[in-house]
Amino acid sequence: MPIPAGPAPVPSSRTRTAVRGPKDLPVTCALVVIWLLLGLFVFFPLARIFALTLWPQGAFDLAIYRRILIESDFRRTLGNSLLLGVSVASVSTLLGFVFAFVVHRTDVPLRRFFSFMATVSLVSPPFMLALAVILLLGRNGVITRGVLHLNPFTFSIYGLPGLILVQTLNLFPVAYLNLAGVLQRLNPELEDASLNLGGSRWLTFTRVTLPLALPGIAGAALLVFVESLADFGNPIVLGGRFDVLSVQAYQQFTGMFNMPMGAGLAVFLLIPTVLGFLLQKYVVGRRSYVTVTGKPPAPRQNKLPLVAKAPLFLVCFAVSVSILAIYLTVVAGSFFKVWGYDYTLTLEHFRYSWDVGQKALRDTLFLAGVSAPISGILGMLIAFLVVRRRFWGRRALEFSSMLSFAVPGTVVGIGYILAFNQAPLILTGTASILIACFVFRNLPMGVQSGIAVLGQIDPAIEEASVNLGAGSAETFRRVTLPLIRPALFAGMSYSFVRAMTAISAIIFLISAKWSHLTALVLSEVEILRLGPASVLSLVLMVVIIGAMGLIRALLGKDAVVLTNG
Amino acid sequence: MKVRRLLAIGLLLAVVALVPVTVSAAEKVVVYTTLDEDLARAVIAEFQKDTGIQVEWVRLSSGEVNSRLVAEKARPQADVWWGAPAVNHIAAKLDGVTAPYVSPAAEKQPEKFRDKDHYWHGLYVGPLGFATNTDFMKAKKVAAPTSWNDLLKPEFTGMVQVSNPASSGTAYTVLATLVQIMGEDKAFAYLKQLNKQVSQYPSSGSKPATNAGLGECGVGISFAQDIVGKVIEKGYPVKLTFPKEGIGVEVAAVSLVKGAPHPEAAKKLIEWAISTKAQKMYAATKCWPISAGVKLSEELPELSELPVIPFDHKWAGDNHDRLVERWQKEVYGK
Repeated sequence: MPIPAGPAPVPSSRTRTAVRGPKDLPVTCALVVIWLLLGLFVFFPLARIFALTLWPQGAFDLAIYRRILIESDFRRTLGNSLLLGVSVASVSTLLGFVFAFVVHRTDVPLRRFFSFMATVSLVSPPFMLALAVILLLGRNGVITRGVLHLNPFTFSIYGLPGLILVQTLNLFPVAYLNLAGVLQRLNPELEDASLNLGGSRWLTFTRVTLPLALPGIAGAALLVFVESLADFGNPIVLGGRFDVLSVQAYQQFTGMFNMPMGAGLAVFLLIPTVLGFLLQKYVVGRRSYVTVTGKPPAPRQNKLPLVAKAPLFLVCFAVSVSILAIYLTVVAGSFFKVWGYDYTLTLEHFRYSWDVGQKALRDTLFLAGVSAPISGILGMLIAFLVVRRRFWGRRALEFSSMLSFAVPGTVVGIGYILAFNQAPLILTGTASILIACFVFRNLPMGVQSGIAVLGQIDPAIEEASVNLGAGSAETFRRVTLPLIRPALFAGMSYSFVRAMTAISAIIFLISAKWSHLTALVLSEVEILRLGPASVLSLVLMVVIIGAMGLIRALLGKDAVVLTNG
Repeated sequence: MKVRRLLAIGLLLAVVALVPVTVSAAEKVVVYTTLDEDLARAVIAEFQKDTGIQVEWVRLSSGEVNSRLVAEKARPQADVWWGAPAVNHIAAKLDGVTAPYVSPAAEKQPEKFRDKDHYWHGLYVGPLGFATNTDFMKAKKVAAPTSWNDLLKPEFTGMVQVSNPASSGTAYTVLATLVQIMGEDKAFAYLKQLNKQVSQYPSSGSKPATNAGLGECGVGISFAQDIVGKVIEKGYPVKLTFPKEGIGVEVAAVSLVKGAPHPEAAKKLIEWAISTKAQKMYAATKCWPISAGVKLSEELPELSELPVIPFDHKWAGDNHDRLVERWQKEVYGK
């Protein structure tokens, strides 16, 4: 029987954090290694990019920044990016929470289906989600024209509404995965206590469940916000005349051949990220969210009254069906001769894709397979150090782990070439440059979900282990790690997915030896071979879903996120 | 001490990935290509068969190659840039990332299709054209436009797409063409009016054509070889027309990368890329071959029958930044 325990007294989690001196060798070693890695693979490339903006012609010059601040075009674009980021972060976090709550805290029917759809939606090969939306809801789309009978050539999905739709479908799973981990670890005894004391379900939800999930909610919103700002694939397809900063930076690099200007715009993308990070820390504040104080309780479903159940069900159902429709479009596209015009069934696209895609698939699998575990474990380690250890630069460590995630991929890619194409460390053309890029760009998901979950676990459990004679490392492995397995699952799956579906950074890093499936998808879309593009995307999705199942199996039953509920 | 073991495994994997793959004895060449995926695959396979030279290649869009070559300047990774409009090759030349090479094969081609300093060499030509969705024509009961001014008709309001000259060589060719036929100020006055007709300016140059195919716009302005090869050939309902006042052409080119690691193989590849055999392959994908001896695909009109203007590529390259910035200020932001 787990012993129910309320949240620990307010300042406790800080003061009771196991304070360790420099004697704690494993921690010191880990810190040194982590800082070295972050320095090399996050700060060094960014510094190269930053230098480019300040010394555009070799001499120190602030002209780039002056131009960005003065020209109204750039200010408008920055405003657009922020508007999009805030909208998508709000909607996605709300939706992610609803899904996580429904799946892990209620007896609403079809929970398995909802959970699956929310996870699957993460797996959208770049461009394909946006393209499928165009084929369904575009001016000449199947739904726009065939179902709604809107006047063809007048309705428009392009611009802000379309972008919010696509980015939300694409990013709310990030919030979902993050919050699912949090809700699974949230002790239901606390909710029971509130109910037993006469609190209504609503009161229990708003005063107990919601506040306890707050660090997770804030973390999820930040991740979505940052990712929306840096996203490039969706705006370039669906943006229409709604320009965002990431696309504008890309245009400076590839159309105006002005690398310093592109880099300068990217630096401006970092500012909202820093502000968002500070805001998140401020909102979540210095409260304690400890709810796991003994053996973690089994997740449990509450019986909800129909009045609460019906709207929750409808929201989840509508979203899940939309996702399903989009994916079915991709599946259907694999079999139709000419998507949109000639619906003869054919297997020709599969034959073609097999010929052109084998090597790219092998490469992609290897790169994602190697980078995901490294990224996941490193992320957990950083989360553990940040939450559980007192050391100088703790917040800086957390923030640094977010940095390369926040910069548009194009910029990271160019930074990596500038940094690793000359002595002392030559990595261009190798697999390691791609692996390093994936590991450090995909780190934040692991770090953020690790921090959220660890914040809920009473350090007393770990202290007990230390008191009983276990060292830092052993405590981490045998006590902390099992407790944070859902977060590890989230971190690893997500970095795997991102490595499989990355596009903008790797455009500059792929080589003849190491190619990537998404680059191939992009080439096929460009020549309007939508059939092979759908087949390749389908393969990508199947592989990723299979791999997530595998990760789940390896990490044990406890980490069930995909099918739990 | 599992933590350290995990770290050790991670480091080990990184080291394994670092070990370079053993280089085979065969001669090789590294290519960045902007040719379309399927064409690139075909010509590279044929080149390997003919010469026995191993080709390692990456397909990138034209602007991406420009940025990548500049970023890799300190230690060039590629030998040859195969494909992409001359405008992009001129930018690369100005950035000092390509090298001159006097190619015997290129010398035989008309002078207007190569750089006089021997930096880039023409492969094939493509004129600008209008891609009009035939379903759209039926729905709006309009004929396909045959003049730049036709695009200003009320039926086309919000129905036209042309790519963004800030990111696309195709759109820049449109801009430079209009300036060359109308004069700069008149061209900008026209572009301001056209701006009202344009639903969006996609980043990639072939997107207006493919969007016309998908029915996402009524008329897309792209290069004719993209309209035919990528859209009409695939079965999409699109009609190709040309504006009578004049059209610019793109010359797709090939350049030798400065500091190429395999210069000898690179030169052999450039010779092959300009050869009659290669030109026949380009022509098969609906491009206009530059050499008189190669037959144009049957359904396409001869270049001499089209209102092609004597497009000045050097002038276009030199004025690129100025014209695009003026376009952004006076047209796009409005």
